[in-house]
Amino acid sequence: MINYKRKWFAMLALIFVVILAACSNNGGSNGTSSDKNSSTGNTGTNSENVKKVTIEYWHTYSDAEEMVLTEKIKPLFESEYPNIELKLTRMPYEGLKQQVIAGVAGDAAPDLMRMDIIWVPEFAAQNALMDVSGLEGFEQLKSQVFEAPMETNFYEGKYYGLPVNTNTKVAIYNKSTLAEAGLTEAPKTMDELVAAARVLKEKGKYGMGVSGIHAWGLAPWFWSLGGSITNDDYTEVDGYLNSEASVKALETIIEWNNEGLVLPVMLGGEPGTWDGIISGEYLMSDDGPWFYSTKIAEQEATGYDPLEETVRALMPAGDGGSRSVIGGENLVMFANSKHPEEAWTFAQWMLSQEPQTIMAETGLIPANKAAADAMKGMDIPFVDTFVAQLETALPRTPIPQWGEVEAIFNLAFEKAIRGEQSAKEALDEAVNQINAILK
Amino acid sequence: MSNSLLTPELIPDRPSSKSKFKKGLRQWGAVFPYVILGFIGIAVFVIYPMIRNIMISFQDYSIMPNAANPWVGFDNYLRAFQDPNDRFLIALRNTFLNVIATVPVNWFLAIFFAVLINAKFVKFKIAFRTIYYLPIVTSWIIIALLFKYLFADGDGGLINYVLHKQLGILPEAISWRNNYWSAMVMIWLFHIWKTVGWGVVIYLAALQGIPKDLYEAADIDGADAFQKFWRITIPLLGPITLFVLINLINGAFGFFPQVYFITQGGPMNQTHVIPSLIYIEAFQNLKFGPAAAMGVMMGILVFLLTYTQMKKIGRQRMF
Amino acid sequence: MKTPLLHKVIVYAIVIAGALLFVFPFIYMILTTFFLGTNTLPKPDQVLSVKINFTNYVTVWNKNNFVNYFMNSVIVTTVAMFGSLFLGALTAYGFARFTFPGKELVFRVFLLTMFIPGVINIIPQFVVIKDLGLVNTYSGLWLIYIAGGVIGNVFFLRGFFESIPKELEESVLIDGGGNWRIFWNIYLPQSLPALGTLAILIFQGTWEEYFLALTIIKSEALRTLPIAILMFNDKYSTNYGQVFAASVIALLPVILLYITFQKKFVQSGYNEGGIKG
Repeated sequence: MINYKRKWFAMLALIFVVILAACSNNGGSNGTSSDKNSSTGNTGTNSENVKKVTIEYWHTYSDAEEMVLTEKIKPLFESEYPNIELKLTRMPYEGLKQQVIAGVAGDAAPDLMRMDIIWVPEFAAQNALMDVSGLEGFEQLKSQVFEAPMETNFYEGKYYGLPVNTNTKVAIYNKSTLAEAGLTEAPKTMDELVAAARVLKEKGKYGMGVSGIHAWGLAPWFWSLGGSITNDDYTEVDGYLNSEASVKALETIIEWNNEGLVLPVMLGGEPGTWDGIISGEYLMSDDGPWFYSTKIAEQEATGYDPLEETVRALMPAGDGGSRSVIGGENLVMFANSKHPEEAWTFAQWMLSQEPQTIMAETGLIPANKAAADAMKGMDIPFVDTFVAQLETALPRTPIPQWGEVEAIFNLAFEKAIRGEQSAKEALDEAVNQINAILK
Repeated sequence: MSNSLLTPELIPDRPSSKSKFKKGLRQWGAVFPYVILGFIGIAVFVIYPMIRNIMISFQDYSIMPNAANPWVGFDNYLRAFQDPNDRFLIALRNTFLNVIATVPVNWFLAIFFAVLINAKFVKFKIAFRTIYYLPIVTSWIIIALLFKYLFADGDGGLINYVLHKQLGILPEAISWRNNYWSAMVMIWLFHIWKTVGWGVVIYLAALQGIPKDLYEAADIDGADAFQKFWRITIPLLGPITLFVLINLINGAFGFFPQVYFITQGGPMNQTHVIPSLIYIEAFQNLKFGPAAAMGVMMGILVFLLTYTQMKKIGRQRMF
Repeated sequence: MKTPLLHKVIVYAIVIAGALLFVFPFIYMILTTFFLGTNTLPKPDQVLSVKINFTNYVTVWNKNNFVNYFMNSVIVTTVAMFGSLFLGALTAYGFARFTFPGKELVFRVFLLTMFIPGVINIIPQFVVIKDLGLVNTYSGLWLIYIAGGVIGNVFFLRGFFESIPKELEESVLIDGGGNWRIFWNIYLPQSLPALGTLAILIFQGTWEEYFLALTIIKSEALRTLPIAILMFNDKYSTNYGQVFAASVIALLPVILLYITFQKKFVQSGYNEGGIKG
């Protein structure tokens, strides 16, 4: 009986502890939760930098890139700023967005993150990110980086991050197939490319390198042909996505497809883009620098030398010029960061020339213009074309609703290309649906 | 003597409410230490999130920790039905399609294989049973990766390779993931492949329970294999078939990894089922209010369906 | 009546074909792990003619703290399994053996919670763990795994417990033992088969759990296996040989357990409904 009572009390005590802890979250105050970011257990102070402050940085760098990060970047930064410790956390892609959301919602977000450019407006709209436009040194940084990648951080008049690396796609041609088409150098205009494609069609090969029915694959073509998605402010689609020029651009792509000039992979067929370029069945497609960095890394095992076997050039110019699409990542700071000053210090530092040049060793194109230029001197021979294309590349619409807008865009294009709707119908319908979302 | 602590129900019943109350308290007192930990765990990690979900479904929810989250009544619920792309309705339809497509096939294959393996002359029954059940013990995520790989586009995917290149059954390689129907077929095959073993095992056990004399009597009467199957096996498997069907249906309702890891709801959100749609709405589009609303609606739907099942069958205990 | 040979052949053929159908994808997966090209889809021709080598396995094992992830998974899963079993048994005992006002009502409420898809539960659960200061700890993860699984486990065990005859308690009662002794000395040992079956179910589920593990555990040194596998997917391409090598390593423990205790596994499916995500 005595044992029984003791057990009772023990249980009760446990219960009280747990209930107290669980109830604390209803109190709403977050000050008591232990700061996981502080290395020695004290909450770092901003003014006196006597105690060491730890800032956490989430990234998704690949193996090779992460090595550069940990072996060169981190020591360099910490030697220049001995009071700040840099904690690097690598995250997997699968479920990443959910992790960011959980982190923000639970007030456990990192201080900084290398975030997909597409997500920045979304999280900015949720007030999750820190506005950097007013911070000291911002204007100077802005002038040092490429304009278009910078724009991907824009939301409602302010900027919520800095581009840390950028990329774009250029036209990559199989050298021998190019010769088969009767050309000695890459076509400069769409018309030239179409002519080459027609020649190759007789030989069972494909010339128009649209790689898929999605914004990433279609945008360079659509834009180069004169199409547009929104106005310059990214606020209107009516009159842009369904403008005459856009309709004409889509109709051109449809015609190419009906004529059999487009890569089968666009409709999900075979071979895949890279395999097609390597084998020569595809004259060309548009892709990013990772084609070269990956293939060069595999060169020993496969024997394929991408630099020898391919020719790279700017996207062929159409009515819209030579356009391509911007990808890359932005460096953002979270609004609830406990160490905003130190985080900003790191952000500024990451964008200065030396670190940017170091990261460029991995083949990632720096957002810092001077470092990108310097890349040409490095032993990364393929970068020149990409940097050149960056001058005229455009971002996908940087708005919070881009995810849904893209889905509508893709569907409209798919219906039109598969002949279920005319180009004009598809685009008009898309505009209606997008307007419903933008409200 | 510790009788009163152990078996409170032996206390003679006194009619006054005061002592009923006391008796109730005493009963709680006895059971308390055993269930309290579980209750707390459930309260904190299951009930609380669920209530939170229901609350969120009525709010315009923001992920920021101290945001206002204004109440918007049934807005989020209406949104699900006003979607220009009808994603919720499509997901609903897909759920029912999944049930209709997979349950009969699953059931038939289960009973078919079970009967065959159970045939008297078949040796290594245990070995077969182990192999047939193997897909079930493996991780959904890994198998989803595997199936994505097998069903890859073009002749690089094994399925296309076999059906198109080698056997010529298909006129051309199918891009499985890019068409609604082929994507659904892929999901169905994935589910059936991974779960049919369960039905096989259940039926095998049930078949063992059919008295052999029935078959012998039929043999004496000159019945052949088919007649024995239709007139003895099938009818006697009636009750367990009910059990199997109910579980298959419930299983088909609960698709999440089958859809999420294979197609992510694509192409164009057409293969979604409600759980995967909820996940995408919440964690991709950051729309927690509508996502929660969909969750609540699905909960009600499942509850209604299960309730009618329960009514018909009563509590199921099958061992 | 003897079965004609033709019938036997046909039946065997079908059954074996079925077995092959279930086994072949695994074989194909294993063959792919011997494939050394990266980032391009290994074609069937290539896969079927591949030479056996363990390069990918070695790479995977040495990469990205993979060994750590594996051991972490072992730790996380084992503790979660025992914790869940104990708490589930304890609570089921309460429901099975005692009566108290509102018992069935409470039980039904619990069952109801299984209906609403818990997809979004992860956020409130994370917030709770965070407020307890248990982010990035295994304790936090164990709390959610164990607490989250109680209802299902109770549902499973209650029936078993209720079928244990009350006479067995008499020996304990005579010795002057209390409820606890009955639980510990009678109910637990009597239901070992059921417990074993449940243990396997819990093991399977926890071993492959991805989302919660990813949310709660942030430092790489503490991460679990499913995360490791999906980390092999690069942003732009997938290294199939390595992903599947990692997958095979991840599947091995479960498969080995299965082959050893296959009867238990099969029983667990039999009783639980088998079709769990």
